[in-house]
Amino acid sequence: MFTRGALLYIGQRLVLIVFTAVAVSSIVFLGVHRLPGDALLNERRPDPAAEAALLHYYHLDLPLPEQYVRYVTGLLHGDLGESYVNRGVQITPLLLREARVSAEVGAAALVFTIGLGVLLGVIAAVRQNTWVDYLATTTSIIGYSMPNFVIASLLFLLFGVALYSWTGGALFYNSGWTGNYGTLDQILVPGFALGFPYASIVARLTRASMLEVIRQDYVRTARAKGLTGRVVIVRHALRNALIPVVTILGPLVIGIVTGSVVIENIFGIPGLGKEFAASILNRDYNIVIGLFTFYAIIIALANLLVDLLYTVIDPRIRY
Amino acid sequence: MATAPGITEKYIEETLAHEQTSLWGDAWRRLRRNRLALVSTVFLTLLTLVAIIAQFWTPYSYFTQGLGPIYQGPTAQHWLGLDQSGRDILSRLMLGAQVSLKVGIGTQLVVIVVGVIIGLVAGFYRGFLDTIISTVINIFYGIPDLLVALTLVLLLGRSLAIIIFAIAFTQWMNMARLVRGQTLALREREFVEAARSGGAKASKIIFRHILPNALGPLIVQATIGIPMAILFEAFLSFLGLGVPPPTPSWGAMAADGFHAIRISPHIVLAPAIALSLTLMAFNFLGDGLRDALDPRQKR
Repeated sequence: MFTRGALLYIGQRLVLIVFTAVAVSSIVFLGVHRLPGDALLNERRPDPAAEAALLHYYHLDLPLPEQYVRYVTGLLHGDLGESYVNRGVQITPLLLREARVSAEVGAAALVFTIGLGVLLGVIAAVRQNTWVDYLATTTSIIGYSMPNFVIASLLFLLFGVALYSWTGGALFYNSGWTGNYGTLDQILVPGFALGFPYASIVARLTRASMLEVIRQDYVRTARAKGLTGRVVIVRHALRNALIPVVTILGPLVIGIVTGSVVIENIFGIPGLGKEFAASILNRDYNIVIGLFTFYAIIIALANLLVDLLYTVIDPRIRY
Repeated sequence: MATAPGITEKYIEETLAHEQTSLWGDAWRRLRRNRLALVSTVFLTLLTLVAIIAQFWTPYSYFTQGLGPIYQGPTAQHWLGLDQSGRDILSRLMLGAQVSLKVGIGTQLVVIVVGVIIGLVAGFYRGFLDTIISTVINIFYGIPDLLVALTLVLLLGRSLAIIIFAIAFTQWMNMARLVRGQTLALREREFVEAARSGGAKASKIIFRHILPNALGPLIVQATIGIPMAILFEAFLSFLGLGVPPPTPSWGAMAADGFHAIRISPHIVLAPAIALSLTLMAFNFLGDGLRDALDPRQKR
């Protein structure tokens, strides 16, 4: 599947990701260290000797350049340090565990975003200027205008009140993510709330690019060959119409990462987003730096994946 | 020409006076024909009025607790019910409109100033400066904006001004990129060339010839930016990092009622619906303005 050139390209990008991670963590590291107060000092103020010991434990008594070198060395070894609030908790394994939780919900959201978005967009384009089109287009503006916590509360009301006796409480999320993997009903509802606003964006984009593609000669040729409407739309038109959609996958991933901070807090999902809000409120700066580094890596990897997806969808693109 | 020159000129002038419409007049006519945009404009005008009225009068004080049974649903005295501390939700909703509008419009003012200056500089002077600015813009596009805004608010404090600054900090590049693109295209146009050959100074070309012609897309971008900023403020206050209490904000009001959504959904629904309607109105208006100001783009 990948030529030698493509592998080389991937290698270059991976090296670049490491640089990005170091750059992002450096910026946050330096920004955070200029601030007054941290998790240690916010807590009960220990006697001077104990405070000195505490600072020494976290190497906070060293001059800033030395701290920085220590941090970057640790980072390059995959070690993000230790939590200030919960002493002894190593951040890297903590975030890795939480990342998997977030990935489950994020994947569900992405499925909703792309699946629903492309479906609505194609339907609207194929039935352009009919009531179906207007309905799909209006739905997408409404979806775009609803904050994800509003969608979440509507879903709560739907499954928790209106349909409660009918579904027997299924899909009504009772917070508390036990076990390592979420069950389907723990993932579906948050995933929908997280993904739906972005589905609207995908739908608008799909509709626009679909309308453009449908009018092209090769689509008419396909029709003239006697192919059924569905084959023409799905196999011929959609494939090319999806290229602009792939372009916004990068921003979409950022959007889902951002939205997950809100959604994970609503649904009590123990993922990166919940950790982000908690660590920022606790001023657990080591975790904040670690999370920004983590997010930078996730987003960079997503962008790499998007660029590779281009070659799958459009064979003319090569690296 | 066969006819007397004086008459012809007068005739032409009169005809033109009737048929000539300005760009803005045209746009207004097109906007009025867009029913959704018109309804949105009316809604937003009313909302602004409510926000202004709330400054002087609300049915009840927004911070007085225990006006009745807590979690009470809508009644004749309290149209939208009471919240978890027995405060009147309608009064709080009215003041919440103030916060949302201030954040939305304030952010866009900052974004316009910063974005227009940076965009004009990058687009007009190009070269090394443009390379740097474009790189910075691209870096900002790769940053998860809400997380940066959250961090900034946490670090700098929770006042309205800081929230506006934090949101503008994550949004300026949208405007900068747009203005840069417009400037790049406009600076090659004939009228700019004419002005330049006429000896106009760079500042005059920028502010008299380029900026006015980029105004349409700029307004559309700002209109689309307002709901984004309002949404951001709602997110921030939903997470407990919005304007400090007791000042009501729609996001915080929704967050407060969340735990009781099954017994008294009105606490969440009132701010949630207000927020959604406002965002929708701004989005419809933005769409309408785009179609009205740039008819070529219309599909």
